[in-house]
Amino acid sequence: MGELGVDHFLFLSAALFIIGMMGVLTRRNLLIIFMCVELMTNAVNLSLVAFGWGLNSLDGQAFAVFIVAVAAAEAAVGLAIIMALSRRQRTVDVDALRSLRD
Amino acid sequence: MPLDLNLETPDLWLALPQFIVFGLAIALLFGDAFVARTRHFVWLTGLSLVGYLAALVALVGQANENATTFYGLFRADGLTVFLSVIILSAAVLTVMVSASYVERLEGRMPIGEFYVLLAFSVLGAMLVAAAGDLVMVFVGIELSSLATYVLAAFAKRRLTSVEGALKYFLLGIFASAILAYGMAWVYGVTGSTDLDAIARSLAASVGGDEFLDPALLLGLLLLTVGLGFKMAAVPFHFWTPDAYDGAPTPVTAFMSVVPKAAAFAATVRIFVQALGPLRDEWVTLLSVLALLTMAFGNIVAISQRNVKRMLAYSSIAHTGYMLVGLAAYQATGGTGFGAGAGDGDQGVSSLLYYILAYNFMNIGAFAVVTWLQHRGRGLTLDDFGGLATTHPLAAAAMAVFMVSLMGVPPLIGFYAKYYVILAAIDADLLWLAVAVVVLSAVSAFYYLRLVAVMYFNEPEGQPRQADTRLLDVGIAGMVIATIALGLFSTPIIDLADKWESALTVAGQVAGR
Repeated sequence: MGELGVDHFLFLSAALFIIGMMGVLTRRNLLIIFMCVELMTNAVNLSLVAFGWGLNSLDGQAFAVFIVAVAAAEAAVGLAIIMALSRRQRTVDVDALRSLRD
Repeated sequence: MPLDLNLETPDLWLALPQFIVFGLAIALLFGDAFVARTRHFVWLTGLSLVGYLAALVALVGQANENATTFYGLFRADGLTVFLSVIILSAAVLTVMVSASYVERLEGRMPIGEFYVLLAFSVLGAMLVAAAGDLVMVFVGIELSSLATYVLAAFAKRRLTSVEGALKYFLLGIFASAILAYGMAWVYGVTGSTDLDAIARSLAASVGGDEFLDPALLLGLLLLTVGLGFKMAAVPFHFWTPDAYDGAPTPVTAFMSVVPKAAAFAATVRIFVQALGPLRDEWVTLLSVLALLTMAFGNIVAISQRNVKRMLAYSSIAHTGYMLVGLAAYQATGGTGFGAGAGDGDQGVSSLLYYILAYNFMNIGAFAVVTWLQHRGRGLTLDDFGGLATTHPLAAAAMAVFMVSLMGVPPLIGFYAKYYVILAAIDADLLWLAVAVVVLSAVSAFYYLRLVAVMYFNEPEGQPRQADTRLLDVGIAGMVIATIALGLFSTPIIDLADKWESALTVAGQVAGR
């Protein structure tokens, strides 16, 4: 058993980021897409903290805190817009978003 | 061991314009709560205009500033000033275009909240322009975007507005996550989030015939994708037509300029200032993106019958022209514009001039669409039929904006393209310069078709009367700017050339 290093966290973070990205590209439910983006954001936070640990600097953690704050604001705005949509049409399926077309 | 915090007092005066806009946003919030609803239109519109103009005046005092504060997070330099002038003038014009629309059309939207969100979006874009650190770039872009998502959904009773906003939101936050991941990798490789420190670190490590560190290449690609989404470059543009079409027209005018300016500000700050030593790599990427974006935007715009969608594709095409300017960036060996030139770069100066030009002509085009919506006309090409008979002045204004977007001398759009082409030739990107010319000729088709419809078709139905004084003044101002700023382009491009002071803070010259 080796020691846990920065690389391990970077691989975990890359895996989470790719899982989130695949979710955004394949899922059709707006709320799940939204959660997948949150997963990607948190993967970024993990990377930043891991890099900061490896570099022995606090910048990474400070950046991660800013991203957490931004993600909270994103959640507020996003859920509000999804609410507005579900009042207009009773579904949160992206395939139902068809009123705007070329 | 006690932490060495190195505390210093930030120089608040350097951030005066940004503080004024922040103060304006707070004042608007209080005004929205405490002023009687019947007075909102006059008071809050007036307050917004005064606030943005005050911030513009404060900027004039910083014209030759070149300093950083807040521990390197905030910079006041030539780039900050020029971009802030563009963003603030776009804000003034948006207020003039949107006031009566928000108050009267689409079921009377809450005007106070509209101005608050507008002010925060403007503040975010100004912070990106003034950023000296990756964290600041990210937070600024997000502040600007989050407010814009809400503005796009502002006509919440209309399904298309909410739907367009939702697409904009989902792809926007997706892009933000990718952008942040790119920033994380750049931080991991270079060990800093400070733009100058990144440049110094890269200048020391990159060079020669060695292969680029794959981690750095990954970061570069992620940043390109993230910023490509934000600036609506092909192939990251899918949200653009729907979001522009769905949003209330004045918001579309705003969205097509300020978030794009913020995205280009972030690109210049990150790519030119921090990743300057990697110029050879990202120039290739951006040239390809530029060609794709110009070609796709112009060709698809031809088939559009809806004027808002047509302008959306046209704005994608203009992103392409701007990217040509950026791709023509030369770290050394350029000839520069203006009298004192000799060494220096034309690419970024031409990009800055292009955004300024685009600001006036594009908000102008959407302003005329808004003007017609007040008079009961729709958004399709046919709704513009015979405009020259019923409203000759509006038709003339629209014709000026269309011809300027196309790039006909002596209007501002011509000089914008002229400088971009000069920069591309200077950087040995002849093929891109040729592409700009050829695709501008293609764009003539759909711009002139609108002009032809206005002048040669018969009008349908009786137009409604409407009193839109502020909007009229705004359109007149933009027509004058479109003509005058083209004729007097030399002093403006000289001002744009001052962006290079962004590279000379903190002994960064050695890294170039």
